[in-house]
Amino acid sequence: MTLELVWPALLGLLLAGYFVLAGFDYGVQLLTPWLGRDDGERRALLNAFGPFFLGNEVWLVAAAGVLFGAFPFLEGRLLSGMYFLFAAILAGIVVGNAAVQLRSRHRGAPARRLWDGLIFLGGLVPAVGWGLVTGRLLAGVPLDARNAFSLGTADLLDPFVLLCGATTTAVFLAHGASFLAWRTGGEPSARAARAGRRALLVAAVAAAAVLVTGFLSSARHALVNPWPALAAGAALVVALLAGAALLRAGRTGRAFAATSCAAALPVAALGAGLHPFVLVSSSAPGTGLRLAEAMAEPGTLRLLAGFAAVMVPLMALSQIWNWWMFRDRASRTPTYL
Amino acid sequence: MTDETLARLQFATTAGFHWLFVMLTLGLAPLIAVMHTRHALGGAPLMERMTRFWGQIYVVNYVLGTVTGLVMEFQFGLAWSGLAEYAGNVFGAPLALETIVAFFAESTFLGMWIFGWGRLPKAVHVTLIWLVTLTAYASAYWIMVANGFLQHPVGHEVRGGVAHLTDFGAMLTNPNAINALVHAATAALMTGGVFVAGVSSYHFLKRTAEREFFRASLRLGLFTATPAAFVALYYGFVQIPTLVDTQPMKAATLRGHIDDVGSLRVEDVQAQLAQRFGAGDYRPPSWIATAFDVMQGVGYLIFLLVVVALVLLYRDWYLRFRPAAYLMLVAVPLPFVAAFGGWLLREVGRQPWAVYGELTTAAARSPVGSMTASLVLFCGVFLALAIADWALIARYARRGPADTDLGGSPGDGQAERPTASLAL
Repeated sequence: MTLELVWPALLGLLLAGYFVLAGFDYGVQLLTPWLGRDDGERRALLNAFGPFFLGNEVWLVAAAGVLFGAFPFLEGRLLSGMYFLFAAILAGIVVGNAAVQLRSRHRGAPARRLWDGLIFLGGLVPAVGWGLVTGRLLAGVPLDARNAFSLGTADLLDPFVLLCGATTTAVFLAHGASFLAWRTGGEPSARAARAGRRALLVAAVAAAAVLVTGFLSSARHALVNPWPALAAGAALVVALLAGAALLRAGRTGRAFAATSCAAALPVAALGAGLHPFVLVSSSAPGTGLRLAEAMAEPGTLRLLAGFAAVMVPLMALSQIWNWWMFRDRASRTPTYL
Repeated sequence: MTDETLARLQFATTAGFHWLFVMLTLGLAPLIAVMHTRHALGGAPLMERMTRFWGQIYVVNYVLGTVTGLVMEFQFGLAWSGLAEYAGNVFGAPLALETIVAFFAESTFLGMWIFGWGRLPKAVHVTLIWLVTLTAYASAYWIMVANGFLQHPVGHEVRGGVAHLTDFGAMLTNPNAINALVHAATAALMTGGVFVAGVSSYHFLKRTAEREFFRASLRLGLFTATPAAFVALYYGFVQIPTLVDTQPMKAATLRGHIDDVGSLRVEDVQAQLAQRFGAGDYRPPSWIATAFDVMQGVGYLIFLLVVVALVLLYRDWYLRFRPAAYLMLVAVPLPFVAAFGGWLLREVGRQPWAVYGELTTAAARSPVGSMTASLVLFCGVFLALAIADWALIARYARRGPADTDLGGSPGDGQAERPTASLAL
């Protein structure tokens, strides 16, 4: 019983951590080409997330590891079912990650411009992609008798799913902007705050549209718990509006806290909306792959729990240590990125 | 090409690119940790410059190692979901532990190390590179435990067509994992040592001004590569008896190429396996024997080269004898060639099994249609990024320590002391 609480909670924590931390990476990647007026400014914006960048992306790696170790019977179904969507997200992350770290290794302006384009693309693809994944999971997937599925293009061209993709993109964009407003200073910070306010309002409208279409479309019937999911969606709109108000008031740190909540809420919506299922059927409401069926046997889970009990606090401590060591605002002179 | 071939090619492309970069990561990390420690303890400016120069190359190399590693974590679920269906209770555990015990911490600490120049206390900074090294090798261990299970599944029983974990200790001490780990880890150390010696030799040949710098680097590289090459060769042979016991078909395919396969013959093993598992072709492609020959031949060649070079260190003969430097420069790709051969032998030689003797590769494949599109996508992205990355490594190596970005110029970053701000 406890294992059935601990492992979903840990997977949710890792995914939420990934959405919050890599979320602002993707947002900064989307913003850098537009907010940075020259090469020096663009470098300064990237260096704002510099010390945290490598540590942010690995939350996804850890989530994937826990998914395979503790939820092996979901892992294969989910990844192969959304094969092309995940392949695209991964390719996007690969390109963006390499571009962020390699762009300033080149001295020439043309090479840096090319990498800047890839930095943008590498932020856009996962930002849209995770929204599509979230939306499709909420609206249900075409499960067969073995609880396996395979998505077609038509499954992604659903208005609800597309709006979810637009929402995560706007949320990550705004999240990146509030991070830059908080962690940089002077003119770039003010520019980021202005961009952030606009992005937050767009994100709030998109999130509200998700709620409305979700209520009107088939998504409501697929969801096992529509009301908690709706509450998470409403909280998202509130967090976004609060972020916009805080940015206007110049409270950039609090605005970042608000957008962090917003970035984590899609994960909360998934957990609250689907429980006790992990995959719900889009064609036969109320059926799907149950949490208990998705998880590894208790012996394996207990064994992994022993390791996790030691490692997860250490993982958290290493990241807290990182933030504490680099608590100073990024300086105007470019460091490494 | 069949869909299965495409899926296998996609996995092989990801794993192959990953290993090409990870080998150098594993090989360079301990060397850089040693340089950094000597700098921190003795305060020698030479050691600081060495740490930053080789560290820069290491960090650029690491970029491709992590991005391909990220895709690796997902490949099993994407293209081989049958593996999770069959062995999820067992095989997922070491992979999960690799991410939470090693990969996560390694990346976090490396980010701090890169940005810590001039900002972190020396002791903390040195500790970070040791933590990066430690977690990199911990990662290699867990991956070899997972791979060892595929080669020689131990510690489980099969009930109702699904594997259940019964003895985790057996998995952790699987000889197919441990011996292969020592073999691969020392091969990686040899790669790092040969790489450092080769790049140093380039600067001797070009008669650049950094003679002292590259003399010290050369010595560290050769003192590492020589014992590492010896242990790598030795642990190659240590694996043969295990191979004969646990994978007789692979051993039989090597008949005539190694001595210790006893009475094993491909036809006999094929007949035995057909009797045990039903009709089918249980032979891996015969060219894995060629892969073995390449690995072994190149391995001996590298060992010979580093031993001769080590002797030439006496009274700096090496620095005056230009053919030695030429040979060492040409030798830089050799460890990668040897490793490629060894990898083909281990993984292609396991076919047609995904989990040896239990689950065929065909049965492990995801019910996804043709993977042509994603194969082209991943191949294109990896190849383009790898070329860009190698070009950068070559440029940093050629330009020498004066042109390193890592850490900025000494003392950099202290000039402007920004205000503390984590307050909301």
